[in-house]
Amino acid sequence: MSSIDTYGFVNAKMRARLGKAREEAVTEALLRAPTLVDAIAALRPTRYAALARSYDQSGDIQSIELVLLKMEIALYREIAQYLDGVEGRFVAELLGKIEIDNLKNSIRLWYSSIIHRRPIRHRSEYLFKEVILHPVDWTALINALSWDGVVEATANTPYHPILPEYTEGSLREEGLFQLESRLDRVWYEEIRKATAWLKKTDRQKALELLDQEIDLKNLLILVRYGWYHRLEAKELLSLLLPWGEVFKSKEVNRYIETPKENRSASELLSQFLPDEQRVGDHSAVEEVLRIEELLAQNQKRAYRRLLGGDPFTIGVALAYFFLNKEEFRRIKAILNGKYYGFDEGYIRGVIG
Amino acid sequence: MNLFTKPMRLLTAVVLQQRSDQVVKALLQLGVLDFIHISRLEADQLAKLSSKPSTTNRVVLEDLRGRVEALLKQGHLALPGESTLDVSLLAEPQVDAYRAVLDELTQTLLALKERQKVANQALLGVEEMRRYLAESKWQYLDLRVGSVKEGKSEQLEEKLSPYGAFVEPIDEEFVTVLSLRRDLAQIDPLLDKFGWTEESDPLLQKQAVVLVRTRLETEHQKLIDKRGEIEQSVKRAIAERKEELHAIWSNLRLNELSDQIKSYFSYTRNTTLFSGWVPADQAESVRNAIVEASGGQCVVEWTEATEVPRESVPVAVTSPKVLEPFQNMVNNYATPEYGTVNPTIFVMIAYLSMFGLMFGDVGQGLVLLLVGLFGSRSYRRNPEKKEGLLTRNVTNLLVYLGLSSMLFGALFGSYFGLPLLPPLWFNFEAAVEGHAPATALVRDVYGILGITIRFGIIIIYTGLVLNWVNLFRKKSFVPMLLDKNGVVGGVLFGTGIYMAFGFVGSSYRSFPSDPWIIPTLVICLILLFAKPYVQHFVDLKQGRTDKTFGQVAAGSIMEFLVDVLEIFTGYLSNTLSFMRVAGLGIAHASLMGTFKYLQSMVGGVAGVLIFIAGNLLVIVLEGLSAGIQSLRLNYYEFFSRYFTGRGIAYRPVGLKRSSSDNR
Repeated sequence: MSSIDTYGFVNAKMRARLGKAREEAVTEALLRAPTLVDAIAALRPTRYAALARSYDQSGDIQSIELVLLKMEIALYREIAQYLDGVEGRFVAELLGKIEIDNLKNSIRLWYSSIIHRRPIRHRSEYLFKEVILHPVDWTALINALSWDGVVEATANTPYHPILPEYTEGSLREEGLFQLESRLDRVWYEEIRKATAWLKKTDRQKALELLDQEIDLKNLLILVRYGWYHRLEAKELLSLLLPWGEVFKSKEVNRYIETPKENRSASELLSQFLPDEQRVGDHSAVEEVLRIEELLAQNQKRAYRRLLGGDPFTIGVALAYFFLNKEEFRRIKAILNGKYYGFDEGYIRGVIG
Repeated sequence: MNLFTKPMRLLTAVVLQQRSDQVVKALLQLGVLDFIHISRLEADQLAKLSSKPSTTNRVVLEDLRGRVEALLKQGHLALPGESTLDVSLLAEPQVDAYRAVLDELTQTLLALKERQKVANQALLGVEEMRRYLAESKWQYLDLRVGSVKEGKSEQLEEKLSPYGAFVEPIDEEFVTVLSLRRDLAQIDPLLDKFGWTEESDPLLQKQAVVLVRTRLETEHQKLIDKRGEIEQSVKRAIAERKEELHAIWSNLRLNELSDQIKSYFSYTRNTTLFSGWVPADQAESVRNAIVEASGGQCVVEWTEATEVPRESVPVAVTSPKVLEPFQNMVNNYATPEYGTVNPTIFVMIAYLSMFGLMFGDVGQGLVLLLVGLFGSRSYRRNPEKKEGLLTRNVTNLLVYLGLSSMLFGALFGSYFGLPLLPPLWFNFEAAVEGHAPATALVRDVYGILGITIRFGIIIIYTGLVLNWVNLFRKKSFVPMLLDKNGVVGGVLFGTGIYMAFGFVGSSYRSFPSDPWIIPTLVICLILLFAKPYVQHFVDLKQGRTDKTFGQVAAGSIMEFLVDVLEIFTGYLSNTLSFMRVAGLGIAHASLMGTFKYLQSMVGGVAGVLIFIAGNLLVIVLEGLSAGIQSLRLNYYEFFSRYFTGRGIAYRPVGLKRSSSDNR
């Protein structure tokens, strides 16, 4: 089967949808809406009408977030179905990212309930509890009375061997950060393994994109935890994802080895993003936010470039998912912003 | 209905500035002026004119109107249509007051939504327990029976409420507590505070299960009702302000339109000047309206469409409401040139004939007709209904398609594929299956192909004739006579047809050798070759060209070769393209034949079901194919002969929209 046979139909479909999404300009309409009521009305004539219906019924923005998550999962499944074969399997595997995020959310809820002893009542009902990719027993997880119960709920999934590395005591002591980083790493391990199913061109394209994403994530970790939180070299190294150019580079090695008080985020970034604006005279928190925004913009540009390239590779599907995810993220952020009464300018600043 | 596009006149008017608001109202009410910017005046005159910034920002008006619409939609109320606008109510927009009304209502709604959110969250908590109970997932639940020694059970329930736990009295002494096991670490200390004493009587335990089940059901229903009630309150809160919202919407919309009109105005110190196109038959009423609104202090001048370049005149076409589906087909393609034929009626005839030939069946046509009638009725009864797969336009079109299909079905004697009555023309299915009687008008598929080719020839010639009429009206006599779609092209096409039919008539052995054929072909080709030269001569005479003879000569050879190629291949392919009509018709008859055969093989109820399913499949698939192919033949084979689509649509500003402005 040629790449045109594989991607011809799905490419046309995805592009048509992207075109329609551009026409609808949903996020722009949401931003311009003066209140949440107006923002919800702006959703009604669009492909997000289900969100408005959900809000009408519940009055709760969290219900909208659940609908968006369901839409995102359905999107991956639909494209996987159109692609069939190894490409379809690979796309389905991409759901692993959503699954890990859902797992992290569930563990956070469990943590809140069992470790912090806070009621999680309705919040548990806003979790997605169906099978995403692996048979995680979500209900058992959030109802687990101990960490062992959480581990048990992930039986027969790639997360099961990871979770016993942590104990209730260690989590109580250190929080969830290390565990979440570890789960993120599992996702990259799994998806990199899955690229082996693909044909050469697709494999290269997928790995290239993953490495780009990993590079940006590693830069973010280096800035946030190496420069802002000033973690020790060993701790910092353990957080990095062991792939991509950034991880392998001498500059990063040097940066990690530099005494934590003397690390320079500006110098580090200039090595990898020479065209970007230098780190300015903002406060450290603002600086981290600005760098995060800068890296996110970089990633967005990379995916947009993909759409202009060869239309018959897995890259177009990956770009499509990314752009949709971006839109979902923006919608969530804007609606939350409107709910809390922030003005248009402020929300624009936050969502980038 | 006009056979041609409506004649237009260009109005230029000067009124006193102090009367300009009244003039705007009058023009809005009439809604027939397609404004243009004053740009054709001399530069020194233009310099004396100025445009005034609008007193109200149109974006603000639009935003406010958007907010009103958002609220009405939130209340599931219909938006007021433009037809409800009354220009006499046009008033200065009270932007701040409107904003205050909208803010107040929005705050009310947000407060209600907050209450709805709380109710919904409580409901979710109950649903979780209810689900575990229904699925017997006792491992997540904690049900205990006991007594409260300190304090009252109501107080205990209040303390446990953040965890969604229920306390239900069993009798005067004992109560049951239902909670989630994951919350036990927090619930146990609370129970201890109330001096909780556990009771292990199995009878009481059983009673407790029944009681909590009932309690959960009651709570669940109560919360659903509460949530629904709040949703109704939201609707009520908006409905109560409906009149006010409609009034605000109307005034905002009127002001937007008024501002739109004023944006075309230019001003001197004391006067206002504007210009726009009006259908000639409306010119007098526009003049009267301006004179009346300005108290006679105005100057109105008219310029005829013939005095300005044709391509700058907007095109208004009027078709009766019943022809709307076909008008939309034309509009979807393009706007005809000013002064040319309005193709709607021809499209209707051609489209319905093609569809009928491809999909002739009385029964299936009746189904289309009924779907169309019910669909149209449903949209008429519920004007706010969201358009689905069968849009308003499609349901209207289905009525015509159904009638066409029924007519041709009667001609072919086909009733749901069954020959219930003798055909009025010929039995299509019998011709396809090869068992038509020897006396039949059409006995085989070749006969059917012949009919559709003849039909195609009629369509192409109709297109050519319309093209000649258009060119004659445009006074483009050279292309009318010498172009490939002109008379020369028509003669060549006719000669080709004569030769083709002669060839078929001789059982594909020889072409006719009539003595007039060769001279006709030669003369036509010479005329075709001469066209650029004749055109150049005419253009030179009228001073419309600066091309040299050499340039014309250089281009003429290539043009001639392309034209000849297009005539011989284009006409041939266009004509043969109509064989698809036969193809679809044959496929339709074959499919029905197959389903009838399957039905006879299976028999009984299953056979009837196969027959019904077959008919449904044919209606959906063949109906769709026939509809698309008819559209394609109209757009490519028919329109390409005469329809340039170079017109610009007439778009008047007003409260009502003309039928040509529906796009």
